[in-house]
Amino acid sequence: MSNIAVTSSQPSPKWDSKQVIPLLLLVALIALPAVQFFGNHNYVIHVVLFAFLYITMSSSWNIIGGYGGFISIGHNVFFGIGAFFSGFIFARYGISPFYTALLAGLVATVFGFAVGLITLRVRGPSFIISSIALLMIFRIVFDRWELVGAAHGITLPHNSLPVEWSKVPHYYALLILMVAAIFLSWSVRHSKFGLALRAISHDEIKSEVTGINVRMIKVTAFALSAFFIGAAGAIWADYLTYVRPNIFFIILIAANMVLMCILGGKGTVTGPIIGTIVMIFFNEFILAQFGASELNIFLTGLLLIITLLYFPEGIVGSLKQRNLLPRFLDWG
Amino acid sequence: MLKINNVSKSFAGLLAVDQCSFAIREGTISALIGPNGAGKSTLFNCISRIYPVDSGEIYYAKNRLDLLPPHRIARLGIGRSFQLTRTLDHLSVTENLALHTAGGFGSHLLQRGVTPNDKQRADEIMEFLGISALADLDMGSLSYGQKKLLDLGAVLMADPDLILLDEPAAGVNLRLLENIIEKLVALKEQGKTILLVEHNMDVVMGVSDDVIVMSAGRIIATGKPSAIQNNPDVLEAYLGRNT
Ligand SMILES: Nc1ncnc2c1ncn2[C@@H]1O[C@H](COP(=O)(O)OP(=O)(O)OP(=O)(O)O)[C@@H](O)[C@H]1O
Ligand SMILES: [Mg+2]
Repeated sequence: MSNIAVTSSQPSPKWDSKQVIPLLLLVALIALPAVQFFGNHNYVIHVVLFAFLYITMSSSWNIIGGYGGFISIGHNVFFGIGAFFSGFIFARYGISPFYTALLAGLVATVFGFAVGLITLRVRGPSFIISSIALLMIFRIVFDRWELVGAAHGITLPHNSLPVEWSKVPHYYALLILMVAAIFLSWSVRHSKFGLALRAISHDEIKSEVTGINVRMIKVTAFALSAFFIGAAGAIWADYLTYVRPNIFFIILIAANMVLMCILGGKGTVTGPIIGTIVMIFFNEFILAQFGASELNIFLTGLLLIITLLYFPEGIVGSLKQRNLLPRFLDWG
Repeated sequence: MLKINNVSKSFAGLLAVDQCSFAIREGTISALIGPNGAGKSTLFNCISRIYPVDSGEIYYAKNRLDLLPPHRIARLGIGRSFQLTRTLDHLSVTENLALHTAGGFGSHLLQRGVTPNDKQRADEIMEFLGISALADLDMGSLSYGQKKLLDLGAVLMADPDLILLDEPAAGVNLRLLENIIEKLVALKEQGKTILLVEHNMDVVMGVSDDVIVMSAGRIIATGKPSAIQNNPDVLEAYLGRNT
């Protein structure tokens, strides 16, 4: 009907690898639990849903850490908040975390907003230290808080599914959270909000002079980055069937988010995804080869160092700089 | 339009701006001149509230600028450049320009970072500055002179009513300098108000309606360019004794 000239410089063929490959991957991931019809492959389900969990968290961390440049090493407080919130409701009122996960995300977001107002006043080492301090405070408080079981935490009922299907609800819940978290990260990256955030990461004064309410944007980004981490915490609580401070409030979880982002390329949309996949599968491979030992930690460290030597901006970041990034990974 | 009233600002005992008062009229170009270290840039930073003032008031129409946060000042339609460029080196040139929008950058989550409209405006401005070829480069890969130009370009992008320029001509080649001067005059004719810090006296005398002279933190003279040129105080403070 209309004969508007196509002004877009991008050709739009029917099969664009940029959309097709991710879509095929998504279809494959949706279909994956079908392997359970052919025997008990719980290990595969576990590793993949573990990757979903960490992609959700590293993509969320990337919003404030990658785009905004605030390296938070205490971001798993939101994970713990989500887990304790939904775990407590489950234990006390019998409402499954699957129903309260988004509410848990909201609680984490509101909390993130409040914390951000205080901690985001400083940047660099001071901010990093304040983020660790926040985590330590949480650990101490939850270790002593009788209402939520203190150091013992909360024990949750198992679901009643047969063993080979018992992980599947968590698998799909985390898949949905992961897709949503990636979509949020992508939206931020390509929005004016994201441009403001990236400007702020470089020069707050200059950003203010362009009319950006720097404080508001920082705090909002911090709060947004908490949402899916909190929701994932709720699902993870149900998966583990217990919530304990020494499982959720440990720095290792936040450190993983940070390292995955740095390995893949922080500040890019696909970097956290690639970084998480590489780290988790490398770690599982080493574990399978050499058994559980300190060796996997040592070798993961080595992998990081070597990768960053050759890819200083992370895998995706550096490939992009060299124009070697496959199109389907180039989401900005 | 802009009224500075008894403004003082000191740094650890050093009085950089000392009881300064002056006003600039709407639709004019005013030049703020004075020797190095006179306090010109500091005064700019007080107007855009990058530094809080120690005392005094700054009025823009009915607004007290000294009581507003910097982003609110930008949203009132006041744009500024920096003497030492502050470019965002990890963003593209176009993204740098797109951050400057009329009425202040709107940080919406649902709006594209660089809209086609932003892109078109940025292209026009780069064309005017003769740097169209740079559009997709990272800001960090540009030369100092190019960054200086883009700093001016950024101010033009936002199309503010009051324009504060801190040495826009420093490090810019002569031909372009003529373009810039022409542009400033054209902006004035559109009704914009410009306050300019500049060391190049040809530029100052050529474009300005009023001149404000600062020395050691104080305003020592204000007036028409011709009057300032012959003011003995100015000659002594600014140009040296033996003139
Ligand atoms: N952030 C700061 N901290 C400490 N002192 C400062 C600061 N900014 C400026 N000053 C001091 O204030 C005085 C005025 O500096 P300012 O930059 O305003 O001068 P200026 O008139 O812009 O000079 P120029 O023509 O060289 O740019 C100088 O003595 C300078 O050392
Ligand atoms: Mg100066």
